[in-house]
Amino acid sequence: METIEVIRLGVYGASILLILIGLYAVLTKKSLIKIIIGLSIIDGGIHLLLIGIGYIKDGTAPIFSPGLEGAASRMVDPVPQALVLTAIVIGFGVTAVALSLIIRLYRHHNTLKIDEIKNLKW
Amino acid sequence: MVGSPVLLIAIPLLAAFLVPLLGMLWKELVRIIPGLVLAYLLVLSTSLYLEVLNSGTIVETIAGWSAPFGINLVFSPLTGFLTTIMTFIGLIIWLYSYRFKRNVEFEAAKKYFIFLMLLVAGSVGIVITGDIFNQFVFIEIVGISAYALTAFYTGRNSAEAAFKYLIMGSLSASALLIAIIIIYSQLGTLNMAEISANIHNMSPHYRVIAMIFFVVGIGVEAEIFPLNGWAPDAYTEAPGPVGGAFAGIVVKAGIYAMVRMMFTLFDISGPMQILIVIGMITLIVAETSALRQEKLKRMLAYSSIGQMGLVLIAFGMGTKAGVFAALFLMLNHAIIKPLLFLSGSHLTFNTTDKYIKEITGMAKKMPVVSVLFALGALAISGLPPFSGFWSKLSVLTAAADENMILIITLVLIISVVEIVYYFRVLNRLFFFSYDEKVSVKPHKPSFNSMIAMFILAALILLIGFYPSSVTGFIDLAADDLLNTHDYIDKVLGMIQ
Repeated sequence: METIEVIRLGVYGASILLILIGLYAVLTKKSLIKIIIGLSIIDGGIHLLLIGIGYIKDGTAPIFSPGLEGAASRMVDPVPQALVLTAIVIGFGVTAVALSLIIRLYRHHNTLKIDEIKNLKW
Repeated sequence: MVGSPVLLIAIPLLAAFLVPLLGMLWKELVRIIPGLVLAYLLVLSTSLYLEVLNSGTIVETIAGWSAPFGINLVFSPLTGFLTTIMTFIGLIIWLYSYRFKRNVEFEAAKKYFIFLMLLVAGSVGIVITGDIFNQFVFIEIVGISAYALTAFYTGRNSAEAAFKYLIMGSLSASALLIAIIIIYSQLGTLNMAEISANIHNMSPHYRVIAMIFFVVGIGVEAEIFPLNGWAPDAYTEAPGPVGGAFAGIVVKAGIYAMVRMMFTLFDISGPMQILIVIGMITLIVAETSALRQEKLKRMLAYSSIGQMGLVLIAFGMGTKAGVFAALFLMLNHAIIKPLLFLSGSHLTFNTTDKYIKEITGMAKKMPVVSVLFALGALAISGLPPFSGFWSKLSVLTAAADENMILIITLVLIISVVEIVYYFRVLNRLFFFSYDEKVSVKPHKPSFNSMIAMFILAALILLIGFYPSSVTGFIDLAADDLLNTHDYIDKVLGMIQ
């Protein structure tokens, strides 16, 4: 197998591992803060996956500049990078809202343990 | 040209961030500006819709990048129909909460109206965008403003409900992003029309995996069965009009995203077992849970989930009649459920728990609001003179055309269940005497909220007596959804 393929599989594997670690944290941890950390880890894994699909060996920046006229076939795909930037901003917004909700929950219940916050049930 | 579809998103986003500044000049502007913006959106989308009906779909390119390269907005008979409903409900919700929120101090009212505008802008964006990543961004805008609106009251358990919603919402958004990555890595495009044109070149394994992630990603907004745990809590703990906004605006956008994904993105034709099965499970679970609820708003929330199950069943039939029935149901639900939430939150105004037993005999104290609630309850359970009857009838005829006996039986049984739990409330409301110890203090409804409720009630009666006044529009919208090739041609025909 070529090196580039190994790197590609490594990146995909690492990102899926990150997503699974984050999912594990969200599903099993009892502390609200740890759940939010889990969500952020999932986001990180997805961002890595997105960057990974845009990777090209010996890629150049997708800008036409003197001396690089023949480089069109080696340009990296700019779309995944733009998507990652947007996704990072959205993830930041969600995390901020979640943390402010945690502050509200802590003031109301005086605890961060999810087992003890159960006024609402099905 | 009356305006461009991009204004439907740009104006409320701009206004939402200007409102705090304008509020410094004169505090009343915080309440007035959102009303003007929502009224403008309604006028704009209605006039665009009429233009679309006359001269065909409008495809708007953003920043001069034509269809497969840039983001484009599609304003077609279907999306125009839904946009007009959403902006109308947005205006009604504003009209209702204009003075309702006067009791609340300035800061809280400011936040409420900002998030209401963002909610409408995001939902309209989900419907009119033609790009899957852009749709993801709008789903997140709707999500964040919905979390904030759910957590509006500080005294109650609203933060808990909002946190639950946030966890489910952001996990599902992650699933949606993975689906988008799979599609992009296989087809190299994010444009819905181009994906639709090339979807059959994609290997079936990837297609199935992407579809599963899409269903999980969109299912939270669309309230499908295993993903709707947030809904009863969020509807109960959010302010009353916000419940109406969720049922009338957010869920409609979620359902639209779901069917656009099924019909256009994955280009499936014929009956879709997955939608029918999901819809049936959602319908049965939600309606039977509604039967044993003690709290009024929680019962309404389960009823709303059940109606969405019915809509998915009707879409899942995949025939013209089925899509027609589903769109008719969506229209009726968008009008009736806000009426139930608005009148219900007046009936339970002076209680925080919102138990059904607390409104015993309220009809003696608040006759008008009680009659409006009864009108909504009768309409949503599908009794003849009201609008809900025609949409339920069209579901039954659509199922009968396809010989789907199981669906007909299920819909009829579920209608009985609906009648039972709505009549349980109506019985308490009208035929019990008012008891100081059990019932809450009546609250005199304000003038503007009465107008908002009367407009909705008038529409229910209008559609009930003259269903032909809307069926023409729904017919065109159903044709538009089913004609995938036309959609691809309209969007990609822009490249010259």
